[in-house]
Formats: sequence, structure tokens, C-alpha cells
Amino acid sequence: MNIGTRKILDRSFTAVGIGSIIVMAMALMIVVVPIVTNGIGAVFFTGTIEHRKMLFNEFNRGDSENLSSEAASSNRYRAKVYSMMTGFEAELETMVPEKQAEYKAKYSQVRTSLQALLGPLPGDPEPMLTRSKYGQTRWEKAEEKLHDLLYESKWDNSNPDVMAKEYFVSRAIGFEGTSLVNLFPYVENNLDKILLPEFTCYWGFLTDSSVDSHFFGGIWPEIQGTFFLAIGAMLFAFPLGVVAAVYFTEYAKPGFLNSMLRSANSTLAGVPSIVFGMFGLAFFINTMKVSESKSVIAGALTLAIMILPTIIRSAEEAILAVPKTYREASLSLGSTKWNTIVTVILPAALPGILTGGVISLGRAAGETAPIIFTAAVSVGSAIGLADVFSSPTPALSWNIYNLASEHEAASQIRHVQYGMVLALVSIVLLLNLSAIVLRARVSKKLKG
Amino acid sequence: MAEESGGERNRTNAFVVSARKRTMQKLAKTAGEGMLFAVAAFVAVIVLFIFYFVARDAIPFFQIRGFSEFFTSTNWYPADQPAQFGALAIIYGSLMVTLGSALIAVPMGVAAAICLSDILPFSIRQYAKPVIEMLAAIPSVAFGFFALVVLAPLLQNNGGPLLMWAWWILVSPFLLLGVIVLSDLLTSNIRVQKRREQLHILYLILFGLLSISLLYKVGTALYGIQILTGTNALNVSIILSFMALPTIVSVSEDALQAVGRDIREGSYALGATRAETILKTILPAASSGILAAVILGIMRALGETMVVWMASGNSSHIPEPWFNYLEAIRTLTATIAGDMGEADQVTGSARFHVLFAMGLLLLVISFISNLISERIVVRQRKILSGQ
Repeated sequence: MNIGTRKILDRSFTAVGIGSIIVMAMALMIVVVPIVTNGIGAVFFTGTIEHRKMLFNEFNRGDSENLSSEAASSNRYRAKVYSMMTGFEAELETMVPEKQAEYKAKYSQVRTSLQALLGPLPGDPEPMLTRSKYGQTRWEKAEEKLHDLLYESKWDNSNPDVMAKEYFVSRAIGFEGTSLVNLFPYVENNLDKILLPEFTCYWGFLTDSSVDSHFFGGIWPEIQGTFFLAIGAMLFAFPLGVVAAVYFTEYAKPGFLNSMLRSANSTLAGVPSIVFGMFGLAFFINTMKVSESKSVIAGALTLAIMILPTIIRSAEEAILAVPKTYREASLSLGSTKWNTIVTVILPAALPGILTGGVISLGRAAGETAPIIFTAAVSVGSAIGLADVFSSPTPALSWNIYNLASEHEAASQIRHVQYGMVLALVSIVLLLNLSAIVLRARVSKKLKG
Repeated sequence: MAEESGGERNRTNAFVVSARKRTMQKLAKTAGEGMLFAVAAFVAVIVLFIFYFVARDAIPFFQIRGFSEFFTSTNWYPADQPAQFGALAIIYGSLMVTLGSALIAVPMGVAAAICLSDILPFSIRQYAKPVIEMLAAIPSVAFGFFALVVLAPLLQNNGGPLLMWAWWILVSPFLLLGVIVLSDLLTSNIRVQKRREQLHILYLILFGLLSISLLYKVGTALYGIQILTGTNALNVSIILSFMALPTIVSVSEDALQAVGRDIREGSYALGATRAETILKTILPAASSGILAAVILGIMRALGETMVVWMASGNSSHIPEPWFNYLEAIRTLTATIAGDMGEADQVTGSARFHVLFAMGLLLLVISFISNLISERIVVRQRKILSGQ
């Protein structure tokens, strides 16, 4: 091969390597950016008067005078919509029967869209579900619902070779010649006066409990459950892991037994997370009966087993990184081995051990599979500290799955799902960032 | 004053130790070490317990239904009367996404590891490492959510164009490189310089046209593809490869670092370029360590639950044709997670035990591959230290 080609090959080899690192960084970006940009929308968004009504009624928050003056100005515009509707209902009665049936069907669709947009209409019975007590609380959702009101969605199946395409037909055309035709432009032009959108900063998203399975309110039960589970797992795993690491680094003698123990450690690290969940179910709940059924304690124990190998490994590394001179100085001063470990080595290794602990804490907080069968429930309020031995808890990781895949109206509460994912990802990434910073400091200090 | 005298007494006693006290001290030391050992052995006990308790609930399934149906039938109707427990399609689905993610993650991961250990200067490496750690830290459910809510609709609505762009962007640089190398190789034997250069250019044009037509043909074919469902094996494979990458990169970087400086310097001294050094000396020396990294990364993909549960479509059938990554599939982990809630735990039905049989299968696979990768790493360390 001539030298030019060899050079090109060398360069392109470098390019492939750098390219894959860039792709990895981009993968991180591609995943994190939509989560962050959409997740922020759970807290900062353009809220409507319905949101403020909901806050006032469900959480008793907000200024009642302000709210009632807003409601009054909103009602002025709503009244016109309602009067148009009653006018059309009267008109319906006078129509010939076949026309009446046709318009009635169309009109009921309009009515449902208006209900979704503005909340219960006058004359409606008191709704059972909280979600139908209010109109759209978020402006961007209100705009979607406005589109639903103005246009009817239809599917074009004319060409069997390609997938059906959605297209929209204006509803106003369907009501040509009746009094209702004026309703559509009126709602379209005055929606901002009806719903009074204004920029809202809803910190309650992080501290409120949810209302009507996450249609309104916040995610505090999930955040709290995640903390309970992760910290509970650390309470079990951290002391055990550090002690085991001390044994492996200071006392273990090379041999068959030791290599067996190390194999066991790496095996445990490689067990798929769902198997931990099965084990937690079969052992902690069905055999040990740590609780009647799912509970925080069973979940924390399962998670503890899962993060134990990581803690042992990082604690070992931290202990081994302590310079030999520390140990020798302590031993030469006449202190015993145990004394050296407790007073010299462990304090010096502590930041490194903590780094591993913090990373494991993040892993315990983010892991879902082990808690599906042992600790997680989809709905529920925040539990007290006394209930951890008996009751299950909602947790961020599980509820993200549940809301995104199993919730009956998953596509309507995307903002809540994104908010939850952002909360979880930021908890985990902040823990990891602090671990990275901590480790950088430690390595600087140990280098001197 | 009293404290001081107490200290005095202790100090004198420290040197004059009675026989009884010495045995006591020895006993305490042994007991303490024993306790430390007990804690360390706790991990081994847990591993045994996991095997025992998963197997305990898995064996009844094989007792009731035997082995052949589970491994050879594709009929998975656990809720029917009579129920059918053919897990072949589910096992196949697991293998399929694992293979798919390995195909993406292994070349990228090894390339990135080489880049980190041998190519990039330290100042850039410092920033690349945290990126990898962050990627490893993102919870699996967040990846699953991304796959379900962002990637799946994207694939479903713009699948064809996306595939075409991916093909062009990923393949065209390699084709270009291939054309250059191939035409060089074909002409390198010709002694006459003028003729060689003429032929070289001729070959370049010929192969260039061929590869451009290949790019275009495949690209248009891909453009026409309509992806019926965004929750499919391709989606899951992409996301799982993101998740396997950090493991592959960090473990194979360790393996590459373990290859000493002397081998590298020897190769450079013989006049090899960096690429040749890496490909012909460092990679062979580190190959077993990289194999271990690949096994660990693959295991991460095989054992992953949330992503496949949320974004694989959960349809238990073998795709038509068998390599069609654009169809929905179902995996072992997702089946365990999804069916456990519906299976009757109390009466010990086959439906409950079959899930444990799947768990046992996963556990055994992960155990064996862990042992293999550990052996490989130990052996490599021995060989390298022996040199």
C-alpha cells in the first residue's frame, strides 16, 4: 500500500473513533434534551383560569378575590357561547325530523369538545371524575382542543397501498345555515378571553399529591417513594458493602475461597434486574414474609441486594487507592491493624467510598424492574415513615412506566410524564455529577 | 489528675500482657475477622439464595409441562383454556434485540474505547469519560419512555426517510474508504508509475460509480419502507445499544490500557502508523479483554426490562422474515414483568411458574457469560503480566 493510502486509513481510523464518541455524546443529548425541554413544561407553562380554579378548589391555594374577578370576566364571554348553544337547541326543536337527527349527532360532538375545552356546561350534571370538573388547564392543550372543536378529523382510506391519512374538515361548514355557525369563529377569536391564559410557575408539581390519577396536581408521592426506597436500600447495602470491602482488601487471603467470593460478587453484579424482582417476591415476600404483600421494606431490601456489588467494588477501589505510606506510618506508631483501618484508612478512603455510594444511590432510585413485584403501586398517596414496613408506595420509576404505558389517557398527560422523567433523571444525574466532582477532588488530594 | 493516672496505668499494662488477656485478644481478633468474613460471604449466600429461590419456583413448571413445549413451540397463550406455554418466539425476541443492539454497540463501543485509550489527548478524555458515565447513569425507564414517546412515533411517521439518511450518513464514509483502499491495493503491484497512476484513477472512478449507485439503490429502497409500528425490534435495539455502550467502552478501555507501552512503542519503532499499531498489535493483545467487555455489554442488553417492555410492542411471534427488525417482538424480561401481575401466585399455577422458568433461563445465561468473561479477564491479565 502506498504511503498516501496508509495516511488516509490512519486518519479515517481516528475519525471513526472520534465519530463514535461524538455519537455517544449525541445519544446522551438526543435522549436528555427532549426530556429536559418537555419536562420543564410541567412546572413552567401557560396556565388558564381553569388551572387557577383547580388549584383553589383542590389545594385551597390562590387569591379568591382575584379568582372571582377573573371568573366574572371569563363568564361574560362564556355566557355568549352558552346563549348561542341554547339558541341552537331551540332551533333544533323546530327542524324537520330527519334534519334534526343529523344535526343532533353533529351537535353532540360539538358539545363534547366544548366540555373538554371549557369544563362542564350549564345544565350538565355534577361530573363524577375530577378531570371533567375543569376545562383545559394548560393553554397548549386548550389550543389542541380548540382544533378538535373547529375541525372534524377523518381518515382517508381511498388508497389501499399506503397507510390511511388523517385529514380535517371544518365543523362550521356542517352547520351552514343554522345559528350555531357563529359559535366557531367566536370561540376561536375569544378563547384567550374565556380562558385567560397567563404564565404560570407551578412549583406545586413537585410537592403536591396527585388529583384524579395525575390529571391534576403533582408528583410528591412518587418523589417521596423514590427517596424512601433508595435511602432504605442504602441503609442496608452501604454498611454491608463497606465491611465486605474491608475484608476483601485487608483480610482476605488469596485462595479458592476468596476467588469463589469474588466470583459470587461479579455474578451478583451481572444478574438481570428483573430476576432481582422475582427473587424479592419469592424470598422477601413469599418466604420471609417481611410484609403481607408489596412494601417499601421489601423493595428496599431487593434494591439493596442489587446495588451491593457496586458498593463493594467501589469501596475496594477507594481503599486500595489510599497510599501505602498512610498504613505504614500508622502501623509503625504501634497501632493495631484494626485500629489502622478504622482511624487511618477508612477516613482517607471515605470520599472515594462515598462516591461509589452516591452512584449506587442513583442506581437504586432509577431502577424499576426490582420494585415492580416488591414495592411499587400505580396510585396512592404519600405514605408516612411508619408505614414503610407494611404498605407499598408509588415511585417515580414505576409510575413513569405506568403513566406512559398503562394509564387510560396516557396521551393527555404527557406533560406529567415528562415532568416525572425529568425529576427522576435530574435526581440521578445530580447524584452522579456530585460523585464525579467528589472523585475529581479526591484524586487531586491523593496526588497531593 | 485522676484521668492522668488512669492513662499511666494503661500504658504500663500495655506492655505487660497476661496470658489470659492475650488469649482474649486473640479470640476477639478471630471473632472480628470471622464477622468480617461472614459479611463478605453474605454476597455468596445471596447468590445461592437467588439461584435456589428462582429455581424452586421454576422447577414445578417443568414438572407439570415438560421441557419440549417451552423451548420448541411458538404458541404463547398462557391465559387460554387449555393454556399453551411455547416460549420459543419470546426467547427468539430476546436474542434478536440482543443481537441488534450488539451490532450497533460493539463496533461503536470498541472504536470509542480505542479512541479514548490511544488517540485522544488526556485533556479531551477527561470530558469524554463523564459523558459515558452519564449515559450509564440514566435510568432504564427514562430510556424506555424516550423510546416509546419520542422514537416510536418518529419511526412510525418518518421511518423510510430516517432509514435512508441513516444509511447514507453511516455507510458512505466507509464505502469511500473502501474504494480508496481497494483501488490502491489493486494497483500496488504495478511497477510502471505512469500506468499505475492511470489505472489507479480508473479504478477510483469505477468503484466510485459502483458505490454511488449502491448507495442510491439501497437508499431509495429504504425510503420506500413503511414502518407499521414504531414499537419494534429496531427501536429497542437502538436504545439498548445506548445502554450497552458505556459498559463496552469502559471495560474494553481497561483491557486496552492493560496492554503495555512497550508493545505500542515496538510497533511504532517498526514504522507502523497509529492505525496499524492499534489494529495489528494492540487489538490482538487486548482481544480477550474486549471479548469480555462485549459479553458484559450484551448481558446488559439481554437483561434489560423496562425499555423492551415499553417499546418492543410485546407481540409474541417470530417476525416474517426472521430478520425483520421492523416488527413488534416480545422478550423474556418483558414477559416476566408484564405477566407476573396476572399470574396467580397462591395456587402455584403453571402460569406463575413459567415466568420463573424464564427468570431461571436468564439467570443461567447471565451466570455462564459472567464466568466466561471473568475467566477471560483473568487469563489476559496472566498472559500480559507474564510477558
